[in-house]
Amino acid sequence: MELKLLDVSKEFQDIAAVDHVSYSLANGVYGLLGVNGAGKTTLMRILCTLLKPTSGSVTWNGKDIFAMDGEYRKLLGYLPQDFGYYPDFTVYDYLMYIASIKGLRPAVAKRRTDALLAQVGLSNMKQKKMKKLSGGMKRRAGIVQAMLNNPRILILDEPTAGLDPNERIRFRNLISELSEERLVLLSTHIVSDIEYIANEILLMKKGRITMSGTAETLIHSMPEKVWSCEVPKAMVDSFLKRYKVANVKTVHGGARLRIISANPPAENACLETPSLEDVFLYYFGEKAGQEDDQI
Amino acid sequence: MIKYELKKIFSKTSSKIAVLLLLAIVFVICWMTVDVSYVNEKGEKETGFAAARKLRETQKEWAGDLDEERLRQVIGEIRRINATPEARSKNESENEIAYSWQQGIDDIRDLLNRSFGENYRSYDYYRADSLNAEDAALFYSNRIILLKNWLADEAKDQYTDREKEFLIGQYESLKTPIFYDYMRGWSQLFDYSPKIIMITILILGFLVAGIFSNEFAWKSDPIFFSTAYGRNKAVAAKIKAGACMVTVLYWAAMLLYSGVVLFYYGADGAACPVQVMFSGWKSFFNIQIWQEYVLMAAGGYIGCLFLSFLTMLVSSKTKSTVLAVMVPFVLIFIPSFLGNLNSPVVNKILGLLPDRLLQISAIIGAFDLYELGGKVVGAIPILLVLYSLLAILLLPVLYRDYRRKQIF
Repeated sequence: MELKLLDVSKEFQDIAAVDHVSYSLANGVYGLLGVNGAGKTTLMRILCTLLKPTSGSVTWNGKDIFAMDGEYRKLLGYLPQDFGYYPDFTVYDYLMYIASIKGLRPAVAKRRTDALLAQVGLSNMKQKKMKKLSGGMKRRAGIVQAMLNNPRILILDEPTAGLDPNERIRFRNLISELSEERLVLLSTHIVSDIEYIANEILLMKKGRITMSGTAETLIHSMPEKVWSCEVPKAMVDSFLKRYKVANVKTVHGGARLRIISANPPAENACLETPSLEDVFLYYFGEKAGQEDDQI
Repeated sequence: MIKYELKKIFSKTSSKIAVLLLLAIVFVICWMTVDVSYVNEKGEKETGFAAARKLRETQKEWAGDLDEERLRQVIGEIRRINATPEARSKNESENEIAYSWQQGIDDIRDLLNRSFGENYRSYDYYRADSLNAEDAALFYSNRIILLKNWLADEAKDQYTDREKEFLIGQYESLKTPIFYDYMRGWSQLFDYSPKIIMITILILGFLVAGIFSNEFAWKSDPIFFSTAYGRNKAVAAKIKAGACMVTVLYWAAMLLYSGVVLFYYGADGAACPVQVMFSGWKSFFNIQIWQEYVLMAAGGYIGCLFLSFLTMLVSSKTKSTVLAVMVPFVLIFIPSFLGNLNSPVVNKILGLLPDRLLQISAIIGAFDLYELGGKVVGAIPILLVLYSLLAILLLPVLYRDYRRKQIF
């Protein structure tokens, strides 16, 4: 079971949203991490056959996914970042419709819908109109539609965006539950989400996958170290200009900074244990942590 | 899938209102159509269902072949009535009594007025009053003479010689004497049918306009296209849902309207030639009234299908419901503005635009002619074939366009 990207590029006019990406994905959870315009959504849409690459190819077990057409999409579950639905449908009707266009027989669709709604805690919302659901509930309905066909490939684009902390944790756990025996690719700009769920992390920058590996591998591969130090308030700006500062915390008489640097930034600097967020900051710089867009 | 596509359409409040509006308009038009009056022997006007029954009974007395003998009788009856003191009176009530005797021959009187008009385009309601019994022999030949005179004079540049020959040939081949029967139900039905059909297509256009574009408006397109059937069966289901909706709503509106009107007036006269109707006297189509009804209903259906599929194509191409909903409006109303140009070439083009399909009962008497392979053909058969083919051809275009959409 292998989803393979072979030198895949996608250009919009002169801009390369995905730039010669080659990668191989098998069972497991893959986290796609990148900043605004990194190309995560475009890459995911190519994998969902929503967009054709300008060049290169994507294969599933050696067969081109665009040539496989419906056969490939039978294996696919997709939750887009901007989850759209039919506002006047009830949750049940919505899911039964999606099941029908996924090729599920009505009896199977009914069984799957009931089981998945129970799993995500939406059983009592079955007859509610989609437009009446809260943001978190809509996301859960979204993951149910993605899971209806028990997909071998599950692609989730920013699944936790816009959720409150409780819903986010709940959703994260749900994804973990659902990730067994399948290939899950999820994108996010929330580093902690990926850190908790993903087996393998892909860092994407300017359309390219610049780095990949487990969280530990990425942390250890960072060539610089993480320091913390306290500096007077007046010096903060100067530190922000000179170093990659992961965090600024105001303390009595100054600020405590978390800095990524090859050398100690100050005499009183202490060496800290690096985290994935530090890696993210190191590779993506100032843009890290900003809201992602659709590219 | 089709069930859910229809549900998508009708789950919107605006769609439910549109269907209720269609139903309301059909009833309003039915109400306008069943506006009948009958003048009784006292000269009093009666209205309503009973009046329609009485009018039917009165006119049915004159049913039969309109041969010379029958026309002599009609002319004689007109002269007899005109000579009565009630008809000559200056009192309006007295005149109404005289009219009550003439109601039975009102339709035939109209035909006499047409046949003995001063020229092909003129109509004088009192012309029948000045006819003599001997004129009855000229009733059918006059129709042809007036056409020939008109073609030789006023319309000499409008038609080719072959077209003129065709028209005269069609007139001459009308089987005479024509059979007359009470046919008020059909003539009333034809008068308002273009309105029913046009309103139906405008509402259908509104309903189908969102079938494709709403996926983008609702942002449900990424999920739709990433499913197993998202680029094949689900697209076909959308087209089928559109076609089903058009078929059901069109025939529901048309049959409801026809049913109410014909129930009210009666469906007598279906076997009469269209020439017995005031609007059909000039027609070169030598067909019967029921055949005109079939043409009218089929034309409306084909027109609705074509315009709906075109609306769906614009909806798919532009991803805009607003632009799509404008398609039927533009194609129905623009030709009526261009109609004033009075150019033979423009008229030839206008004669084949889809709005004509929606008003076959109104154009049955028009001389829209086309030469195909050396043969002269009327616009109606061309319209029926042309738009049936175009409607069918639109289906694969629509299917291919939507299934190839890329989601950016």
